[in-house]
Amino acid sequence: MRRNAPWYLLAVLLVALVAAGCATAPAPAAPGDAGAAAPAPAGDVVTMRLATVSEPSTLDPNLAEDYFSITPIEQMFLGLTNINNETSEIEPELAESWTISEDGTVWTFNLRQDVTWSDGNPVTAKDIEYSAKRAVMPETASPYAYVLYSIKNAAAINQTNIPTDTYDIDSLGVKAIDDYTVEFTLEAPAAYFESISSMWTLRPVPSWAIEQFGDAWTEPENIVVNGPYKLVEWRPGEKLIYEKNPGYIKADEVQIDRVEVSLITDQFTEVALYESGDLDVAGEGAASLPAEEVARILADPTLSAELHQGPRASTTYVGFTMTKAPFDDVLVRKAFSAAIDRETMVRDVVGSGVPATQFAPPGIFGAPDPEVGIGYDPEQAKAWLAEAGYPDGAGFPVVTYRYFANSLEEALAQALQAMWKETLNVDVQIEAQEFPVFLAGTNPDVPVEEMPEMWRLGWGADYPDENNWVYEVFHCTDSQNRPRAACTEADEKAKQASIETDPEVRKQLYRDVEQLMFGEEVRVAPYYHRGYTILAKPYVQRAYPTFAPVNWDTWRIEQ
Amino acid sequence: MATSTAPAPVLASPARRSRTLLFDVVMRLVKDPFVVICVLYLAALIVVAIFPSTFAPLSYEETNFPDKLAPPMSYATTPKLEGFRYIMGADRLGRDIFSRLIYGTRVSIAVAFLGAGISFAIGLTYGLVAGYSPAKVDNMMMRIVDIIYAYPTLILIILLQVFLTSLAQQPAESLGALQTLLVTLDTRSGGLFFVFVAIGAVSWLNMARLTRGQTLHYREQEFVQAAELVGANNRRIMWRHLLPNIIGTCIVAETLAIPAYIYTEAFLSFIGLGVQPPMPSWGSMIADGYGALRSAPHIIFFPALALSLTMLAFNFLGDAIRDAMDPKLRDR
Repeated sequence: MRRNAPWYLLAVLLVALVAAGCATAPAPAAPGDAGAAAPAPAGDVVTMRLATVSEPSTLDPNLAEDYFSITPIEQMFLGLTNINNETSEIEPELAESWTISEDGTVWTFNLRQDVTWSDGNPVTAKDIEYSAKRAVMPETASPYAYVLYSIKNAAAINQTNIPTDTYDIDSLGVKAIDDYTVEFTLEAPAAYFESISSMWTLRPVPSWAIEQFGDAWTEPENIVVNGPYKLVEWRPGEKLIYEKNPGYIKADEVQIDRVEVSLITDQFTEVALYESGDLDVAGEGAASLPAEEVARILADPTLSAELHQGPRASTTYVGFTMTKAPFDDVLVRKAFSAAIDRETMVRDVVGSGVPATQFAPPGIFGAPDPEVGIGYDPEQAKAWLAEAGYPDGAGFPVVTYRYFANSLEEALAQALQAMWKETLNVDVQIEAQEFPVFLAGTNPDVPVEEMPEMWRLGWGADYPDENNWVYEVFHCTDSQNRPRAACTEADEKAKQASIETDPEVRKQLYRDVEQLMFGEEVRVAPYYHRGYTILAKPYVQRAYPTFAPVNWDTWRIEQ
Repeated sequence: MATSTAPAPVLASPARRSRTLLFDVVMRLVKDPFVVICVLYLAALIVVAIFPSTFAPLSYEETNFPDKLAPPMSYATTPKLEGFRYIMGADRLGRDIFSRLIYGTRVSIAVAFLGAGISFAIGLTYGLVAGYSPAKVDNMMMRIVDIIYAYPTLILIILLQVFLTSLAQQPAESLGALQTLLVTLDTRSGGLFFVFVAIGAVSWLNMARLTRGQTLHYREQEFVQAAELVGANNRRIMWRHLLPNIIGTCIVAETLAIPAYIYTEAFLSFIGLGVQPPMPSWGSMIADGYGALRSAPHIIFFPALALSLTMLAFNFLGDAIRDAMDPKLRDR
């Protein structure tokens, strides 16, 4: 008996293991039936169930900087203008009309007079003036204050070294002329200010609620909104619940009464919940689905019909620390950029998006078309590395590529590592960190010895203009300049383009800047423009914007 | 008290046929076909771990992107691999899972030997010395063990890794000899150095406790007193009289502890503290596959199977050795 026991145990275990392995295969057959089921109607309340991979870090428009915060803010606060989800054109929202002075530096917005806050107060020009001043004040520490630097004195005020230095907030170029007219005075003509006026950073906020509740003003019980939806409940770590704001000016046109956004950090779980009918949309929370799931979804006739794919105005790149050997040599940077097989990356590793050789994606004003920069060219890459003094990778030190921990980034990092090894015969160590740690670790104030030689970052459009890309991300002094590039002709041209008013001249300048920064100096190696992959049930009628935050109020659920 | 329950090999009863304990144990083990299978399986693993390139059809880092997520037994689509079959399929980057599994064996077998080696080298000596020393010394030595035992292993590894990363980022000239050695060791071992350190740091503790307990038991017995009487020195008593009596128990305990070392490595690699990609270990392969459990279950299945079978084999073998060495079960 003693001797038989292990045999018996092993047999049971083997059977269990094999069963576990097999059981996973037929499971995906089920979603067909689930897909047909409409969401359970709770009375007459039309409810939509979404998921997010991260909770909002703030719901304060002046402080938001990430996708997870901007999306709910878009539903709760109106801007002067809005970016249409279908056409990506600027359309009026709070502002009925606006005029620009002849020299292009004074913008006057005339507001609608019928908009009220959810506590009954009217939305006035004073709220906009208050918001602009609050966003720029250094005490607020808004991470997005720099998008307002085109406003007169904004940069000077925001960069005041408090508490030793003082500033005069009334010198900021924003003024409520009367209750429904607001005037912005700019440092210099800025054609892109129309886009800036749609941004969340500049949306009116309720000064009285902020003064009464302080940081807690965005809690569900205190929040005062003026948009189509209002946060009614926030269960930390579980879900956020929004309900239609009955006082919204176009409340009649909003069909969905209630939106529940569940926190689901694992995207594989999210897809499983979608298939079982517990979510109406999957992938929205991170704007994409894992490549393994996309492969399976495409093979399934029901699910593939519910999959929506398209471009997003967002670019992923490999950053180089330009002040650290061996990447202080432009030939090494060129070689590493040319060794990235962008087609393969997009097709086989990411599963969505388009290959990139320049920073700004198509659709952004000023983005060169066709693209400029360095593409995949293994022979040229080898030649460049040899020219830099490392023929066939001989003598090249072990360098580090750092990325932030998630399953797609890990696959990308390993793919890059393999491509550099195969083409250049160099050894790259890859290193993952949590996102906040990672971001802080590549800041411009980190000592260069502690910087990784290479790192992954990306950029998504805030407004559809090249100024938001090459100037606000890579300018040698006016941006964070994470690659630590020295000032060159490219920076001059980017600065020049930001104040130029002739669209054709600006386009030509931006073409030069893109070619200089990513084709000649290779400050970073852009390698793909991201795409969205979202699953939506057939009864969800909605738009898939390329960069603007979604507007739930335009969505429909057809029962 | 008689010595009948614990016959030392040196004092083997003349009434029994003249066989050594080892011979007895081995004879009893080979009679059990199940044990033979376990031993053959583990021997095969060791051979595979020593010569992975002989058995693996491809390199562990060779990526064939078009064959990503290829199911088991499918053919490669890239021209340079014409006619090649992915026996266990391919992973997300189109790497052959069978080849990676074989290379991953190295890591598991290495930690098994390392854990056992340190355990015997440090734990056994430490326990023996503590157990045979005066009470004060014994007490002090065992409190040290308690302190190390109480320290959380995971935090120890993370701290060591942070320390090493900051070392590795400093210019090579400014490093001392020991620091350079640490950085070199970590690079050479594919990022496994601290997994080794972690397993090494904790593996000998249990062995030290066990050995000390056993030593306390035997040091009061007549054959030790006899040896002391004829003037044997401490070292001779410990190595020639005490050790042969307790080594059997220690071997059994160690065989049963090996699965824990393998598991620790797999766990650390799973959470990303182990091997440096693209070097595979079973734990990191399981981590690669767990997300794709529904879409590509073969990625996680084979490394998980290999891990389970290996841990089972060690467990069963340890069990069988214990039974074979237990005098109460003799001649059944």
